[in-house]
Amino acid sequence: MADAAPPAAPLEWGSSARFWRTILLYLGRNKSLAVGVVLLLGLASLVIGGYLFYDVKLAEPLSKMPARPPSADAWLGTDKHGRDLFAVLIVGTALTCKVGLLAGLIGVAVGTVLGFVGGFFRGWIDAAINLLTDVFLAVPPLLILVVIAANLGTSLSTTDMVFVIAALAWREPARRIRSQVLVMREAGYVNNARLNGTSSFGIIFKEMMPNLIPYLMVSFVLTVAAAVLAAVGLEALGLGPQNEPTLGMTVYWAMHYSASLLGMWWWVLTPVITLVVLFVGLYLITTGLDELANPRLRAKGA
Amino acid sequence: MVRVLHRLVLMVLVIWLAASINFLLPRMTDRDPIEERLAQALGDSGGSAIGIEEMVAEYQSKFGTDQPLWKQYISMMGDIAQFDLGVSINYFPDRVATHVMAALPWSIALLGTATLISFVIGTILGALTIWRRKSAWLARIVPLFMILAAIPFYLVGLVLVYVFSLSLGWFPPARGYGVGVNMDWSWTAIGNVIYHAILPAMSIVLAAIGIWALSMRGMMVTVQGEDYMNFARAKGLSNRRMFWRYAVRNAITPQITTLVLAFGTIVGGAILVERVFVYPGIGTLLYNSVLLVDYFLIFGCVFILILTVAVSLMILDLLYPLLDPRIRAGGEQHG
Amino acid sequence: MHAVVSRGLTVKDLSIVFETDDGVVEAVRGISFDVQPGERLGFVGESGSGKTTTALSLMGMIDPPGRVVSGSAMLGDLDLLTLSPREHAARRLVDIAYIPQGAMNSLNPVMRVGEQVEDGMIDHGADLNKAARKARVAELLRQVDLDPSVARLFPHELSGGMKQRVAIAIAIALNPKLLIADEPTSALDVISQRQVMQTLRRVQDEMGASLILIGHDMGLMAQFADRIMVLRRGLLVEAGPVRQIFRAPQDAYTRELIDSVPALERRPATAPPVVREASKAAEPPVIALEGVSKTYKRGLFDRKGNQALKPLTFSMASGTPMIVSVVGQSGSGKSTLGSLLLGFIRPSEGRVLAQGRDMHGLSAAERRERYRTVQAVFQDPYAAYNPFYKVDHGLAEPLRNFGVATRRDDILAKMRSACELVGLDPDQTIHRFAHQLSGGQRQRLMVGRAMMLGPKLLVADEPVSMVDASLRSSILGNLRKMKDDLGVAIIYITHDLATAYEVSDYVLVLYRGRVVEAGDPERVIKEPQHPYTRLLVASIPWPDPDRHWHGDDAAEAELAALDGAGAPAPCLVRSTLPGFTLKV
Repeated sequence: MADAAPPAAPLEWGSSARFWRTILLYLGRNKSLAVGVVLLLGLASLVIGGYLFYDVKLAEPLSKMPARPPSADAWLGTDKHGRDLFAVLIVGTALTCKVGLLAGLIGVAVGTVLGFVGGFFRGWIDAAINLLTDVFLAVPPLLILVVIAANLGTSLSTTDMVFVIAALAWREPARRIRSQVLVMREAGYVNNARLNGTSSFGIIFKEMMPNLIPYLMVSFVLTVAAAVLAAVGLEALGLGPQNEPTLGMTVYWAMHYSASLLGMWWWVLTPVITLVVLFVGLYLITTGLDELANPRLRAKGA
Repeated sequence: MVRVLHRLVLMVLVIWLAASINFLLPRMTDRDPIEERLAQALGDSGGSAIGIEEMVAEYQSKFGTDQPLWKQYISMMGDIAQFDLGVSINYFPDRVATHVMAALPWSIALLGTATLISFVIGTILGALTIWRRKSAWLARIVPLFMILAAIPFYLVGLVLVYVFSLSLGWFPPARGYGVGVNMDWSWTAIGNVIYHAILPAMSIVLAAIGIWALSMRGMMVTVQGEDYMNFARAKGLSNRRMFWRYAVRNAITPQITTLVLAFGTIVGGAILVERVFVYPGIGTLLYNSVLLVDYFLIFGCVFILILTVAVSLMILDLLYPLLDPRIRAGGEQHG
Repeated sequence: MHAVVSRGLTVKDLSIVFETDDGVVEAVRGISFDVQPGERLGFVGESGSGKTTTALSLMGMIDPPGRVVSGSAMLGDLDLLTLSPREHAARRLVDIAYIPQGAMNSLNPVMRVGEQVEDGMIDHGADLNKAARKARVAELLRQVDLDPSVARLFPHELSGGMKQRVAIAIAIALNPKLLIADEPTSALDVISQRQVMQTLRRVQDEMGASLILIGHDMGLMAQFADRIMVLRRGLLVEAGPVRQIFRAPQDAYTRELIDSVPALERRPATAPPVVREASKAAEPPVIALEGVSKTYKRGLFDRKGNQALKPLTFSMASGTPMIVSVVGQSGSGKSTLGSLLLGFIRPSEGRVLAQGRDMHGLSAAERRERYRTVQAVFQDPYAAYNPFYKVDHGLAEPLRNFGVATRRDDILAKMRSACELVGLDPDQTIHRFAHQLSGGQRQRLMVGRAMMLGPKLLVADEPVSMVDASLRSSILGNLRKMKDDLGVAIIYITHDLATAYEVSDYVLVLYRGRVVEAGDPERVIKEPQHPYTRLLVASIPWPDPDRHWHGDDAAEAELAALDGAGAPAPCLVRSTLPGFTLKV
């Protein structure tokens, strides 16, 4: 018990060479983080390679003979509209990631500000932000998004999509950051910073922010994953951008024409497998980062 | 009691929010649902749409488009408060409520059963991974479920349809019951419904087990570090008692909180599962109303789903004190 | 007595190792000892001494990477160290029982107390029907001075002392031959500590079991144990009867442990508080509380709330260095008072005036400036450093913010001299992270930081409760030095009467948010008059086996009467201090 286990040392921010070496060593031990990073890097290089070496215009309808199985001409086959599914994979992944990353970024930024303001200053402003967060957290997110997207109609661009998704993406980060700030503002070093005559601004940015970085990283990946999930869900319901070949839209059309019943397995499997790789990659990274940010899990080796 | 009250206030706020979005957005974007529908109906049927004028009249009397905006808003809120969801544009003159209430039992049965099954299996698996760290089969199967949990239900559903229905032919690929099956309460009918529900339920269960297992695992790690577990061990209690009465019993309470928080996500995910299996629930109805741009029906579906989530959560809130004596006795545990 | 005479426990040559990534740690190295039936053996040592590990090995609860490498532990005819895990579990509670540390969390929060006493009996096959079990539970609860109705309660409905009694009831349910009590009162205040230990002693006498008490408090050992074993780094330093250990310790380490217990006999000379600078005496007081109270409300619906601090009025004159102690147990409101003095929380009523100005009427910039003259040292020296930075960050910031030093080398020079003031080597300190320093070093550096800033008022909130005993006097010495040499007024907040006696010019005893007795330490602590203070002083375990730990039953009764009366207990002012005004 108390005799045996030394307290886990905090993250050490030494020289940058040691920092990177520590990260590599850590990746060796944290397998889920490593596998997640490899999956996403693989997908990213496929997309980048595709944009460089493949004709992505083939993702548009009537580019090739429709409803063809995979062949030397179209590696992943074509759909009923004559889109080359390999080109769709490249363009769709990029579009989906764009929506996820941008919405995630906005969500984390807004959420962090709200969480910080509420957690740090407390009082009525915290109560108000907390109520707002609670209200939004109580809704099935997809439902509110459906109402928004349905009312905006079928003319959504991917940029509109980013804002629609971001409208709900701030909830989880706000809550996560707030609870962390609540703990942190009671920390001895924050009290000491006040005694040091440091301003609230200084306490937030110099004292608390650096220690929040691991939590922000986890929050960011989680939010991106949630944003991608929401975006693909909306697209699969037919509420996404109509004229851009997103992955969700491909799923939508595959369902619409009952591709499975027609035996066009490639049409279903291409977006499904790509999405699975994306989701599993994001998931593994979050569990890996969670372990990094949560020393208790680390200590228990769970 | 205050928890339940708090939840009630939240839900009213949520529904108000959803209704307001539904009210404001079309007006902000200058879209007229009736005109759009009119155009679509004319296009579909070559101008012989039945009852279009009546619909327009109903619409105008309902919303009084000549009235100022705030009056329209208040009258709409009044209707919602009385559970009057208006008239479907697409299935005119049917009321929205008729369609929604017909679909709701299907969704509740499918989702309720699937959630319960996955909760029980997932919670036990999650607890066992911590309790039996040396077990080889647990070490293999649980991470698999956790990875499945990262994948949206409907993608799992698409794969299941392909494998178990189209390739193997074991289960029907779609619909809630067989064509020509009489929907009475006979065993044949019930059996047929269950047969049709297996694949959609499976796609939710397979993906949701990991969610429960993951959060239960986290709770168990916390509980295992508690002093009372150490003392239970020092008492030399039987392994079974320590597992059920000490570890699981304590870890399950926060697990219920997770259930509350995850509920919304599960409902959202289930909408698309219904769509994949063309299951006659709210999800499919919602999908169809999106397809047909039927705003009133869309809002009706969303309204009833939020209401269902709210009621389920309130039941959980009422159950919670039974699980945690600290809340039962001490009233509120804020913080 | 019994037909089969049990010979107690005999441990021979016990060694335990922990195999970690950094190599093998020898936690226990060839220890031998025995405990006779009815005897009380004390295991003393600081953390890492191997005392808990030894006890856990007897319980069969050493988990990998830990491993028993050699030795035997005979309890009667049974060698505890050769049992399989299953066999060992079957012996627990029956032959050998454990009374855990951390009374607060040792009971299952979702099970009624009675069930938790019963389940051990059931799992160890006690041949009793349901009614007989219930009767046994009632009997056990009575035995540990609890009402049998406690069986129906949940742990959160019990006080810390009651929980610890329940833990004792669980341990004695099946009349084990050996009881192991692992710092059983570490979470309790001194008053409950004495009461629980008396119960434990009585119960053990009735059963005739052997008892091992694990702890680090030499005072408690002197009052409780028959024999003492001193452990250090897994080795047995010294063992012997309690009187021999306290009268004629053979080892220097034992001596050190005994001396580290603050005793009322030693009170170092310190300058009497006099008005030093007459010119400054006319200035507004360094700190003044005007009817300050604090009420905490739990949630929106809590109208009444919990008044942690009842209205309090006092002031400390400028230019009059003094150390005023605020003594109280947890829940007395002493930490709330500390936060109020520093302006960290807002008073519910009244005003806190620092040099005549209301702490909460200031602009943000003025409030920051305030800390130029009001400083603090807190309990936890580890939390005081931002883990992101090296320790110099916390020292350089105030120098820059208050404009004390702006140039790099000026700042460095100031920091170096701060280290030297408290006896730290600057080169071994400034450029390190907090986790690279020891607890004592961290706290000394915090004191050095306060000295470097030269405030007018220092709030020291339990500054020595988390540092090793050996460093306690050096840190308290630094506080005295700040008063005598730098002319700082100090408010020393503590739960420990002995250190308050050692260091202060004036003592306030805080009980349930109210000052109940005030005066100079000679009177308040040596000759207490208020029943609470009397009970507190009588409950302190002194490191002297011949000074009987009798408690004070009369004080206990008087206090209960006062608490029951509903009217607030009157404050007894025993003496006054020049420059310190207390209004009651």
